[in-house]
Parts: sequence; structure tokens; C-alpha cells
Amino acid sequence: MADIAGIAIAGIAALAIGLALQGFGSGFGFGAATSEPQKVPFLGGGDPVSHAWQRYHARYYPMTLLFIAFEMEMMFMYPWAVVFLEEGMKAMVEMGMFLAILSVGILYGWREGVFRWQ
Amino acid sequence: MAVTGASWLAASAPAPVYPAVGADGLAAVEALSLHPAVSLQASPRHASLLLVCGRIREADRPALRRLHDQLPHPRATLWWRTEPVPGFPAASCVGDDRADAVRAVWRRLATGALGSEADLLPDEPPAPWRGKGDHGQGGEGMTGGKPYGRPMAMTDEDCRDGLALDAYTARLGPFLPILPPGLRLELTIQGDAIQSARVPSPPYPQAGSDDPLRCIARLLPLLGLAGLAERFRRAAQGRAPDLGAPDLGALGRALRRSGALYAIPPGLGGFAGEDLRARLRRWWAQAEGADLRAPPGEGCLADLLPGLEWSEAMLVANSFEPEILMRLCRAGPGDGDGS
Amino acid sequence: MSAAAGLALLFGVMAVGAWLAAALDRAALALAAGRRPAAAMLVAPWRQGAIHLLRQRIRTERPDAMNGLLAPACYLLLAAAGMSVVPFAPGLVVADLDAGIVLWGACEALTVVVVFLHGWSANAPLPLIGGYRYVAIGLPAMLLSMFVLIAAALPAQSLSVSAIVESQASVWNAVRQPPGLVLFLMLGLSLTLRGPFDYADAADLAGGTSAEASGPAQAAWQVARLAMLVSVSAMTAAVFLGGYHGPWLPGPAWMLLKMIVVLAVLAAATHMFARLPPARMLTLLWTLLLPLSFLVLALVGAEVLLWS
Repeated sequence: MADIAGIAIAGIAALAIGLALQGFGSGFGFGAATSEPQKVPFLGGGDPVSHAWQRYHARYYPMTLLFIAFEMEMMFMYPWAVVFLEEGMKAMVEMGMFLAILSVGILYGWREGVFRWQ
Repeated sequence: MAVTGASWLAASAPAPVYPAVGADGLAAVEALSLHPAVSLQASPRHASLLLVCGRIREADRPALRRLHDQLPHPRATLWWRTEPVPGFPAASCVGDDRADAVRAVWRRLATGALGSEADLLPDEPPAPWRGKGDHGQGGEGMTGGKPYGRPMAMTDEDCRDGLALDAYTARLGPFLPILPPGLRLELTIQGDAIQSARVPSPPYPQAGSDDPLRCIARLLPLLGLAGLAERFRRAAQGRAPDLGAPDLGALGRALRRSGALYAIPPGLGGFAGEDLRARLRRWWAQAEGADLRAPPGEGCLADLLPGLEWSEAMLVANSFEPEILMRLCRAGPGDGDGS
Repeated sequence: MSAAAGLALLFGVMAVGAWLAAALDRAALALAAGRRPAAAMLVAPWRQGAIHLLRQRIRTERPDAMNGLLAPACYLLLAAAGMSVVPFAPGLVVADLDAGIVLWGACEALTVVVVFLHGWSANAPLPLIGGYRYVAIGLPAMLLSMFVLIAAALPAQSLSVSAIVESQASVWNAVRQPPGLVLFLMLGLSLTLRGPFDYADAADLAGGTSAEASGPAQAAWQVARLAMLVSVSAMTAAVFLGGYHGPWLPGPAWMLLKMIVVLAVLAAATHMFARLPPARMLTLLWTLLLPLSFLVLALVGAEVLLWS
């Protein structure tokens, strides 16, 4: 419990510092409000046509599916790492098989071009 | 008290300058970048001084005004090798080409001796927001109208995978530091892949800026090698007066060690039978004294960019000698309005 | 008691470390540029900070103001939370969690979210592209680090960072699994948006996610990046360089020395190596570096089984 409290205190203190740092300057020099021409997004002199927020075409979306497979695998690896020595060779072979299957996924994805910017 | 201390600290820092480079101004800005009293910034949000260096086309004046207003307060404008553009505040700081002058202006600005310049453009929103429609956006349906004064990007076909997501049109330049000065690009992008490109106006002429070492130095920052780029600029600077062969050995080793050649995808930016890697190699060979010339070829920058990802496109746009880039921007369908 | 001392040490080390990291970064840039590092580089971060704090904060057109405010603060939070499981001496730690590296992994994952939100919040194109692009590289880089951290946990038979440090009393993990150290340093560059792994705040986007950040907002973002760098260096020192183990000097001194070495290495790597275009980096990560991390895991596994 004390551990959780320690992390919470560290986190909250850091959050407060981060927010205070941003509020800090407003008392200094130019805390002035931003005027409309100042607000225009920076394009090196060009004027923006539309809002920047959009249905963004994330070019790497097939890669994220592959990522989920590996991220799920992490859940099994944490407990596996703790009991690895007790279980010995069995644990080694099991995880080897698991990783080998997932690696086939990487090869398949590579062939399908998921690491290219689609 | 604390403010005084902070402004004293700030005044002793290198002057944060955003350069807006005009005709024949590039060499002066590149020389300025080597001076320890000045730090050039890539975004006006990080700068306090707007340095206009070289003559500015009349068509680019509105862009310069927009840029001026994007600097946060306190801010000031400096003019090098050009008269102040009408409409700007009384030219308090027409400097000569010396970093000391920039530094002096910065000191006065940081300590409050020089007042911050006011906006040039009227303080009004880009378009009135009418607040009609299902979601108050001022139009029909979910994405119609002009929410908060600006339209939203609308869907279009994609040239890579055919998904019809939003196509965003960005009018970049003429003073975007990641593009050659003066070059305006109108890019339509989906995500970060370029769908189509137009060149509304070509870059400014830069006499005597075709030194291969300088060309390499303009490419390297895009690869995250700002330090190495500085070394190349200094080497180029150093060999002009004495004309002796500079020690390029260490420079070449650093370039190879950095992996810059490997980082550039093979086949990228092919023009006149020479891709970007080959151009970089040729520049290096030229710097070492080989008698090589850029291969002759006709083309159009607007045709080289579509289909590329953003960082690749920026590499390609920066991979030509200024003179060749002028040619690439003059011909072809990209030559529209502008200057 | 030790938790309170740990907290004080955490923030003290983070503050001094961030300052030192900023100075080292300037020195590394000077070396890469062929200049001689100067003592003034120790003052330079303060000068830069003063500029930021005196400058006006600009709000862009219709921003996501809440996320814009929270992103730098949460980045700092993640740096502090991640570092809170790292011991500076036996028992001198904020939180001696049984699953310390799981907490660290969570901080890594949320960093991707925080950086994305920083790019998202401005409603401007260059930051937006930076934010989306970072996600593509941040995700597989995080996988790398989890594999090498699990490989480091194998000899310790525990997910606690303290136990991992204890398991290195005789041999450092840097000796036992050197590729793991290199891969973890790469993750450090990615977490702190630096050099060859800087896909969020890169020069080809004129500053990327921070292109629209000015004044105090920019100060907070840069401080958070530096704090995360300190956090990464603490984790690297503990998991790969034997933490507080070392002869003659007291434990915390060893820990600090090792952190400084890691900071210097990361600063040098920032300015030495070229950044690949993102698609190229994505392929490299998945097809070369990730299989390499599997290999590390297998070799460490075999070694642990044979050793015991």
C-alpha cells in the first residue's frame, strides 16, 4: 500500500510541477491573450485552407494489428519470466514455440507489406 | 525582481531568430547560423526576431505579414539587404550584415528597452461562425459548413491504397525553413503521403549558393544531423577565401559514420538518371575536387513529389542545387499564379 | 521513511539530471559540429528557460486546450512514476513493487499517448503529422524494450527492479546481454524524441509536435522530455549496469555515476546518427531489431538454465 502511495505522490507532484510551469509564465512579461492573426497555424507564410483535424490516413494501420498480437503476448511473458527457472527447459521450449509462431506472423506481414507506408 | 533576473538571463542567451530568406539572402543567413550569438529557429513560435534577408517578391508580402504576426511577444523585425516592406512598423532595426547587430537588438528586446511590435493584420477571426446546423457547425450534416470559421477537410481517393479518407491541402511556404527559401508548395496530403503537388511560385535565385558542401549541409538537418550540417557549412565557409584544399577526410568519415547514405531510401527522388543517394555521392565527389556536373534533364518538382511520404518529400525538395531547382519549378503544370 | 527519502532523492536527481542532460546535449551537439564544448553550456539551459518563461504563450486556432495543457504535465508524470521503482541503494526506493518493470512498461505505453496528444492538441498540420507518425515508431520500439526487460528479469526470477539489481551483484546484465542494453538505449531515444528516433519533434516538420508550442508551454514540454531522459538513464543504470553495485564508493554514488554515463551516451547518439524515413525505420524495427530481441531472450534463457 505504501508503494502505491509513493508512486501516487510522485506522480501527482510531477503533474503539479508540469501544470505550474505552464501557468508560471502568464504572470511574467507577456501573459497577453493571443490575437486572431497570431493563432493561425504555422505553414511558413501560407494560409491554411481547412482545420488540421481530419479523418487522418494513418499509413501504418495494418502494422498496429500485428502489434496487438505481440502486446497480448507480453501478458503471458511477465509471469513466465518469474517461473522460468523453476520450470526449466519446458518453459524455454514453450515460449520458443510461441515466439516462433508469432515470428511467422512478422514474416507474413512483411510479405504483405504492412511495414511499408500503405 | 525575478523578472529582472530572468530577462538578464534571457538577454545573455543567443538571439532566437526566425529567418525569412529572400533573393540572394541564403548565403548571409547560412553564415549567420555559424555565429554563437545567434540561434536560428525552425518555427516562429520559438523565435523573437524575424530576420528578413534579401529582396522579397511583392506576391510574398502578405505571407511575410502573416509570419510576423505568428511570432510571440516580445518580437522585433530586422531587415538585411533589403528595404523594409511597407506596412511594417517603422524600421527601427535595419541592421548591417553583422551578428553583433542582431545581438544588440535582442538584448534591448529581452531587457524591455525595445518595445514589442504590434500585429500587422486585423484582429478578427478568419470567417464568421454562424452556428447553424445539427451540431452548430454552420452547415449541413456532420462535416459540412465552417465549424469555428474554417471548413473541414473532405474525403478523396488515395493514390497508395485507395481508401477514401480526408485529403488535407497545405499551402506551404514561401518562408518555411524546411523548404528552399521562396518556394511555395501546395500539397494535398492524406495522412502524411503526398497525393498531389503544385508549385505556385519558384524559389528565390541564390547566386553562388551551389557549393556542393553547402548543398549537403542543407540536406543533413532533415536527417536529424544538425551538428554535422554545421560542420559542412563551416568547411564551405572556410575554403572560400584561401582556396586551399580543406581537410575533408574527417568530414567524410563523419558523414559515412552517421549512416546518412543508408538512411536515404534507394531510388528516392530520381531525376535525370540520378537518385538522391547518387546526388549526395556526386556532391561529395565534387567537394573532393572531382570535375562532375549535374546531369542535364528537364522535369518538374510537382511531378516528383506525389506518392511520397512527408519526410521523403522534404528530402527530395531539398536535394537540388538552387539553380537546378529553379529550373524544376519553372516548367510544367506546377507553374501557376504567384510571382 | 525510506519512501520519503526516496521521493526527495527522486525529484532532486530528476531536477539536477535534467539540467545536466540539457548541458550534455549542447556539448554533444558542439562536438558533432566540430566545436569545443564550453563551460557556458552549463548556464545555457537556464538562459533558454528564461527566454521561454518571458515569452508569450500562443494558443492556436480552436485548440484542444485541455489536452494541450495536460500533455507536458502527464509526460512529466510518466517520467516520475517510471523512475519511482528504481532503487538508489538497497531499500532506498519510492516504491519497491513486485512488478516494477510492468509499471515501467505502462509508463512507456502511455508516453506514446501523451506525445500523440501533444501533436493533436494544437489543431495544426505539422504537429498533427508528428503525433501520428510517432505512434508508428513508438509502438514497436516499446515491444523491443519489453522483450529486453523480460530477458533481464530472467536471471532475477522476479519482475522487481530491486531484485534485478541484486541479481547483478557478480555480473552486470550489460555483460550478460549486451545487445539488450543497446536495444534499450534505442527505446530511450524513442521515449525522449531524440536523434535517430525523433519522429515526433523532428526537423523535417519544423519542430513537429512542438512547432506550435511557445513560451511556458514549450518550457514544460522540454523539461518533461529531459525528465524522461533522466528516468530512462536511471532505469538503464539499474537494469543493465548493476545499479548501486560497485566497489569503494557508496551505492547511490555509483548509481549517479552510471546515470551520467548513460546520459552522455544518449546525448552523443542523438547527434551522431541519421534518422531514417519512418517506413524504413518501421521495417528495420520489425524485421531486424525485434527478432534480435527474441534472440537475446533465447540466449539469456539458455545461459540461465545452464548456469544454475
